[in-house]
Amino acid sequence: MAGDTDFKTGLLSAVPSLRAFAVSLSQNSDRADDLVQETLVKAWDKQSSFQPGTNLKAWLFTILRNEFYSQMRKRGREVQDSDGAMTARLAVHPSQHGSMDLGDFKNALERLPEDQREAIILIGASGFSYEEAAEICECAVGTIKSRVSRARTRLQELLKVSGESDYGPDAIAAQVMGSNAA
Amino acid sequence: MAIAARWAEDTHSGDSEPRMKPNVKKEDAVERAEPLGSNSEIGRRLKQYYDELVTEEIPDRFADLLKQLEERETGDAARKGE
Repeated sequence: MAGDTDFKTGLLSAVPSLRAFAVSLSQNSDRADDLVQETLVKAWDKQSSFQPGTNLKAWLFTILRNEFYSQMRKRGREVQDSDGAMTARLAVHPSQHGSMDLGDFKNALERLPEDQREAIILIGASGFSYEEAAEICECAVGTIKSRVSRARTRLQELLKVSGESDYGPDAIAAQVMGSNAA
Repeated sequence: MAIAARWAEDTHSGDSEPRMKPNVKKEDAVERAEPLGSNSEIGRRLKQYYDELVTEEIPDRFADLLKQLEERETGDAARKGE
């Protein structure tokens, strides 16, 4: 079937984004690849429920996210421990370059609660709109906005980013993020 | 796709992509262009972190998997047809 080939091509071209999102969620590249694999199998089996012309990437992100949280629930506490160990091993040591390097940023990102991490990734990196992110996370748009806002504030605290107000984004943030007086 | 539009400000390099419409309220335009703030260090780091992940080499296992899924389906269809 021609539709199958298109669908397959669509899945394959989404793999880099899916992997990036999976690593961001799980903070573990082996687990991320397993998540992507499971997502592809599920997507293939559920192909008939995908409406051609709608956002395939958002649909796949939703499947991956559901898979991630369902695995979290199944594995429970044990996973948190092993992931912690894995995270420590994968952590990049503070390096010589610059004040805030990518390793520091990764460490800070890891310390965010999952709901905030996924929100800021979807909005700030994966390129989804607030509406799309809300659909992927099955929550209200306002919830996504407030999670992004809290994530951003927390990252700024963790990374001791200062002087952003010199450029004016705090004024923008007030607009974008809504009520985040804290 | 919406993504392209949203980050057009980032990649704008004098091509034919139209700039923001002048009558769009400024804060609306800013929100669309850069949700984390256009000069946000956090926003830049986040994209750097993510872009590094996106551009990693993709293991063959995913292409192989999709090939297997497709073959399995073709096989199923052929068997049903017999």
